[in-house]
Amino acid sequence: MAAVAAVYPQLKKLGAVVWAISTDSVFSHKVFKDVSPLARRVQYPLLSDRNQRISRAYRVLDEESGATMRATILIDPEGVIVSKLVYPEEVGRNIPEIVRLLEAIQFGRKTGLGVPANWVPGMPGVKRDIRLAGTI
Amino acid sequence: MDDCRHTPDVTKLAAECPLPFCATRDDIAPLFTAEGYINGDVKEFCLKDQRGKWVILFFYASDFTFV
Repeated sequence: MAAVAAVYPQLKKLGAVVWAISTDSVFSHKVFKDVSPLARRVQYPLLSDRNQRISRAYRVLDEESGATMRATILIDPEGVIVSKLVYPEEVGRNIPEIVRLLEAIQFGRKTGLGVPANWVPGMPGVKRDIRLAGTI
Repeated sequence: MDDCRHTPDVTKLAAECPLPFCATRDDIAPLFTAEGYINGDVKEFCLKDQRGKWVILFFYASDFTFV
C-alpha cells in the first residue's frame, strides 16, 4: 500500500485515478488506515468489495480463500481494459512497472509509435512500417 | 512421445468453443459502484463516473498484507 502511495503523485500527474479494492469491509479499511503506519500514507480510496462481485467480474477472485488475487488493472479513458497483471500469492507487485506502463501506453497513443521492450520516458518509439521490417 | 501422439488434439475443439468473458486486455471494464474509505469518510465510488480518465485498480487480498 505504501509502495503505491509513494508513486501516487506520479500516477495522478499522468491523469490516473487510483483505487485499491479488497473484499474487506470499510470498517476493516478504516482500522487498517488508522493503525498501520504504512497505510496511513495512503492518499487513494480503499474500496470494499464485500460481496466479491467486483473481484468476480474482473475474474480475480480466488474462490478457495474468498479473497481477491493481487492484480493490477489499467483502464483507458474509454472504459476499456488496457492491461491486467495478476501476481502469485507470495509475490508483491513491481510498482515502477505500473508507472512505466501508463507512461508507455500514453506515449504510444500520442505518437502512434510502437513502444519497445524496457522503454522508459526519453527513449524513442519504434515506427510501424513494413519497409523497416528486418532493419531494427 | 507415444503418449503425446495418442492424446487427442483438443486445440481444434478449443478454437471453435466461444471464449468466455475473461476481463482481460481489450475487454470492456465491468462497471461497478462500491463503498470506499477515504480521508476518514465512507464514500460511493462509481467507475462510470471516471469515464475520460485513466483508472488503475489495485486488487489486493486483504488489509494488513503487502500490496
